[in-house]
Amino acid sequence: MSPGDLASALPMLRIRGVTKSFPGVVANDSVDLDIRRGEVHTLLGENGAGKSTLAAMLAGLYRPDSGTMVLDGKPVNFANPREAQSRGIGMVHQHFRLVERFTVAENIALGDTSQPWKLDTRALESDVQRIGEEFGLPVRPDARISDLSVGERQRVEIVKTLYRGAEVLLLDEPTAVLTPQEVDALFVTVRAMRESGKAVVFISHKLVEVMAISDVVTVLRAGKVTGTVQTRDTNQAELARLMVGREVELSSLRAMGVRGSALLSVSCVGLVASKRHVLRDISFDVHGGEIVGIAGVSGNGQRELAETIAGIRAPSTGSISVASQSVGGKGPRKTRAAGLSFVPEDRLGTGLAPSMSIAENLLLTRPRSLFISKRKVQAEAAQIIADYDVKAPGPDAVTSLLSGGNSQKVLLARELAASGDGATSNHVLVVASPTRGLDIGATESIRKRLDDLRQRGGAVLLISEDLEEVLALSDRVLVIYDGAMVYECDGASADRTTIGLAMAGAIATENSGHV
Amino acid sequence: MRVASIDVRLERRLAVWRGTALLVTSGSLLLALVVGGIFLKLTGHPPLDVYRELAKTAYFNWYGFTDTLGASTPLVLTGLAAAVGFKMNLYNIGAEGQLFLGGIASAWAGIAIVPGMPGPLAVLTVMFAGALGGAAWAFIPALTRAYFNTSEIVTTLMFNFIGLYLMQYLIQGSYSYWRDPKIVGFPQGKEIVDAARLPHWNFPADSMFGIAFPPGRTQVHLGLAFGVIAALGLWVLIERTRFGYGVRVTGDSPAAARYAGISIRGSIIVVMLISGALAGLAGAGIVAGQGYKLDPGGLAVALGYTGIVVAALARSNPFAVVVVAVLLGGLRTGADNMQSAPDNLKIPVAIAGMLEGAVLICALGGELFRTHRISVRRVPSNSDREEHLSGAVGVGVSP
Repeated sequence: MSPGDLASALPMLRIRGVTKSFPGVVANDSVDLDIRRGEVHTLLGENGAGKSTLAAMLAGLYRPDSGTMVLDGKPVNFANPREAQSRGIGMVHQHFRLVERFTVAENIALGDTSQPWKLDTRALESDVQRIGEEFGLPVRPDARISDLSVGERQRVEIVKTLYRGAEVLLLDEPTAVLTPQEVDALFVTVRAMRESGKAVVFISHKLVEVMAISDVVTVLRAGKVTGTVQTRDTNQAELARLMVGREVELSSLRAMGVRGSALLSVSCVGLVASKRHVLRDISFDVHGGEIVGIAGVSGNGQRELAETIAGIRAPSTGSISVASQSVGGKGPRKTRAAGLSFVPEDRLGTGLAPSMSIAENLLLTRPRSLFISKRKVQAEAAQIIADYDVKAPGPDAVTSLLSGGNSQKVLLARELAASGDGATSNHVLVVASPTRGLDIGATESIRKRLDDLRQRGGAVLLISEDLEEVLALSDRVLVIYDGAMVYECDGASADRTTIGLAMAGAIATENSGHV
Repeated sequence: MRVASIDVRLERRLAVWRGTALLVTSGSLLLALVVGGIFLKLTGHPPLDVYRELAKTAYFNWYGFTDTLGASTPLVLTGLAAAVGFKMNLYNIGAEGQLFLGGIASAWAGIAIVPGMPGPLAVLTVMFAGALGGAAWAFIPALTRAYFNTSEIVTTLMFNFIGLYLMQYLIQGSYSYWRDPKIVGFPQGKEIVDAARLPHWNFPADSMFGIAFPPGRTQVHLGLAFGVIAALGLWVLIERTRFGYGVRVTGDSPAAARYAGISIRGSIIVVMLISGALAGLAGAGIVAGQGYKLDPGGLAVALGYTGIVVAALARSNPFAVVVVAVLLGGLRTGADNMQSAPDNLKIPVAIAGMLEGAVLICALGGELFRTHRISVRRVPSNSDREEHLSGAVGVGVSP
């Protein structure tokens, strides 16, 4: 057997019985994993399944409590990420680690101890250029990070990792921030890396992507490996079952009842912030009994739109009304009093005061009397914990110690409480990225609550960067790009490609009339 | 197994046990005493004897303890002044200057407007004037912070110096309304009328709880009651009212406050005014309870700055402020009283300030251990590790 055959037959990285605990939780429980050259290996699992912990151990960010990691036949125990890097393991984090004011080349050189004391910018830039061409990663080495889009920044991260000689690339949820077109481009790169004999570890919880890109899938659930399968021998349903441990169907939910009157009307709203047009002439209505979804890549004005509707910002032009009452610019309290609730994207920190208890957080959006009474909210908090199956020690639990799903349940419960608990409702609910970072169980429960409000006649405006979510819930879909509504379509018959193009700004604003 | 290195890390505590806070605070105090002890040793004083004497003269002796309560009275109020700001991450460093202005305003009231008033009304008027003076001095930094986002740390600090020199000018630099024209020689302030003076608590002539008391006037005056009532009021305001809720939300997360429609600007201004008023009350207490006149020397003894130490040690809890103020007040009293001690125990008064500083540093350092714990692990040496790793499956990488 030639050495080459041996190399491809034996795994490059062999992990046996790796366990890692954090106080109160076993993040990885005797995990076995084989990573081979020229292979795209997906780590699939829900949030909290232990994918990121495992990757972090490979990258030298954590040390395993027990177990072995063998790289190219030699046992390794990385003390820090630099050690892992020097052995050819590089990680592209979900949250980029780039200095905005530096150029691409400077960022790549940053922290690289093999650089000479005086930076040879020209050599560096040509290397960056060469790596970019080889792997289909077009980047301009002299561009400043602050001028780059999210997709471009990700490319810089990948180039940085390759430049430092990574043979194993760990990509932590790389598609979370990308448009469908950018995802396609990323996959071209991933394939190029596979062709050149590198090992790619792809971390994801999106089944479609996993099926499209990987050769092997290892599924994690609650810190344990529930299965390792060849992609060609499996299907989405099996992976989903391995991932959640039961058959689940995140089915689409649509309006069943009749569409009511317009409960939320946004007309010709524009917003100028820091001398920049953040929102441009936005008009749409949300009727009772429907969910209107706003899709878009993050940073195209979604946050500002939600805050303007919720009364946190005053629109520069145009008007907003809730249940026929004009509320634009009247502040969050008046807007709420008119019948609108808002679940912001940033749960802990905006929607909830992090170091306050669940009970105290219920007071945040309530009308408060001069003296606050803790007893009343105490009982209500206990009720919410029971009704929403919130995993918390009690009403006095501090919200920052809750998991993402549990804090979202508290937040949604509080905002839905204003919609009344009767069979009908004429309440407006604005939700931003309601299930981001949540596991399937919590996602399902949150989506059901939104659907329930719709079926009771409430109006829901769903703003989300997760296109799947928008498509799964919305009766109508709007696409926001650069602060303007650029596309509208029916939710059930939506065409993904067209929406993707609209999200990327490839469709001009001819559709942006009153919807 | 050979130990190659010891891996020491800080880990965040998942839940902070209530007792931890107390334990850490006591530990910090102890460490501060050790640090202070080293200094005492270096300056040729026996640390244990000094501490024993200090404790005796400051706390375990009725004269000393009442002196301590008197010295603590302004610290309670300046401590509360700092604490209320801390509740919303507002750092009013200006209690010092606000205290001076409170002193100026109360002295003026005590000379100019209260004559002829009945006792209780005169006292209330003088104290109210002090609170108003302190609040006024905090108002401008409050406005610039609320509307232009200027750092209140810098502005209030600058205002301390303006306040200090204004006060000195009124007594030493000019024949102002506050200066007593009848006194030649060292310039002094005009005395406030008798009715406006805070009554002192006198030892009962006989005994209490079976302990015999020597009769006489103590340093404990009505100002202490103002301090305790202020602590209670502040607790109710912060923990039990709509306004206090808004303050706590803003301190926790301004974004959440904005989301809830809580006026951040309004909270900043009101909290700064309350803070200034409390510091002003401290100044009024000194004027109406101790010196009976505007006395720059008696007012400018870093009570405002020490109040920040008090609030930090008390973790901004109003009731803890009272306790900590008495503890730190005792340090000052003890150091003062020890001037009459035997030579080897006669420590410089500055040692009290040094101990205050040591206590603050240790307490702030200790704060880390309240939220984090240290984990120490032995990491096996390299050769050891290789043996283990190449061996059977599932051998510990680190013990």
